[in-house]
Amino acid sequence: MAGISFPEEQKQEELVRTKLDSPGAGFDRWWLLVVGVVVTIAILYFTIPDPYGRAVNFVWDGIGVSIGVTVSSFIVTVFVGLMGGLGRLSKNKIIQGIATLYVEVVRGIPLMVQLFFWYFAFPAIIQSFGKQIHYEPFTKYFADPYFTAIMGLTICYGAYMSEIYRAGIQSIGKGQVEAARSLGMSQFEAMRYVILPQAIRVVLPPMGNEFISLLKDSSLVSVVAVADLTRRGREFMAQTATPIETWTIVALMYLVMTILSARIVGWLERITKLQER
Amino acid sequence: MAEKLAMVKEDPIIVIEGITKTFGNVEALRGVSLTVNKGEVVIIIGPSGSGKSTLLRCINRLEEFSSGRIVVDGITLDGAKNINAVRTEVGMVFQQFNLFPHLTVRKNIELAQKVVRKRSTAESEKVAMELLEKVGIPEKANAFPHQLSGGQQQRVAIARALAMNPKIMLFDEPTSALDPEMIQEVLDVMVGLAKEGMTMVVVSHEMGFARAAAHRVIFMDSGQIMEMGTPDQLFTHPSQDRTKLFLSKVL
Repeated sequence: MAGISFPEEQKQEELVRTKLDSPGAGFDRWWLLVVGVVVTIAILYFTIPDPYGRAVNFVWDGIGVSIGVTVSSFIVTVFVGLMGGLGRLSKNKIIQGIATLYVEVVRGIPLMVQLFFWYFAFPAIIQSFGKQIHYEPFTKYFADPYFTAIMGLTICYGAYMSEIYRAGIQSIGKGQVEAARSLGMSQFEAMRYVILPQAIRVVLPPMGNEFISLLKDSSLVSVVAVADLTRRGREFMAQTATPIETWTIVALMYLVMTILSARIVGWLERITKLQER
Repeated sequence: MAEKLAMVKEDPIIVIEGITKTFGNVEALRGVSLTVNKGEVVIIIGPSGSGKSTLLRCINRLEEFSSGRIVVDGITLDGAKNINAVRTEVGMVFQQFNLFPHLTVRKNIELAQKVVRKRSTAESEKVAMELLEKVGIPEKANAFPHQLSGGQQQRVAIARALAMNPKIMLFDEPTSALDPEMIQEVLDVMVGLAKEGMTMVVVSHEMGFARAAAHRVIFMDSGQIMEMGTPDQLFTHPSQDRTKLFLSKVL
């Protein structure tokens, strides 16, 4: 530790940075895979326009929906997870109890069942409640598919994210809080300025993996009337009776998205490792 | 060297009255009473598990005590409300340095000044640089903690605590985690502080430091103060058998 002087360290850092930024950097088997999958889709599209070309055209708008649902849920999940993670670590027994209950209940129920609950059961509960209190907006409540899908995914993934945050925060040594507290910082200030900035680096890689899982699990929202990639695939198959072609195209499209996401996650990981130096 | 230390007047800044502390069914402190005067340097020695670190940590309430009373600079430590008020007056230096690894040395010293003392960036930066000058490593201002040696890190930790203008400094085995060749540079900074008249409570087994800077040495064992006196009294003519036994092992 003592042997490394500062300027050297900086030079190393610059070296790694240029390596990352230079064009063609990291053109490895990951990119080959992406290119391979894209080329496969293109070949199928142009050489066999029916049904492959038609399938691509048909499901195309579903990609936007899948990405939209995934990204919106993920953004909210990042905050829900932070609240849940802090709640799990709270010294207040009530807050801790609520957060723990949330995490345990949600993790114990399959995502598809949760989505069914929010889409079918939840509006029915609101309606009968509305009838009892004679509040008309409630009696006429129906679940909006997109809102329900994003809410369902967020609630489910928020629970997993809570555990990631909790582990990240716990990985920062107790001495850090003590140092911050001994300087007169409040619990909140210590969390805000000392613990979270360090925890975020620990949390980022598993968070990226959650994003990829969320992208894949977003296919489940097709059961609650959201026209995502999977649902568009089902519709196309129903119209054309071409299961092999349909699901080959849908699978390849998910694959492009997940591999690209994994790539971005890996890149983020390296960036934060650099900052850590 | 001891004569260079300023004389201390009867002017209590820390008053500890019969505090006890239990961890489960282990009694870490069993009725400890101690008064430290303004400008006094008190060294606490004793075998591991004797409660010396616990006592130190009770003074700024990093550890809650089970019963008894501590008054720091006129503020009684009992309710939760005035803990931060006390902590801003009491600086603490840890065995493991506990610098913030994600911040540069300078930012480490600036952070609490801005957040707690609400100083401007320019002012905290000025204070940080003055203190780095004082502990002898201004050239490391923009380095990250892991790029420093242990001795340098501990000196930054001292500067970070001093930046809050504390009236009292607590040191919890500040040199125990250091390689032997780095101990002196940290002790030099501490002796300097002592000579400036800082009130210090130090848990340490550095006898050379005790002789150079301490007004009083306290020997603790099994959660109690067994003996206290000037460094000369305690090191050369200990009255208790347990003190003699302990000193024969560490000296």
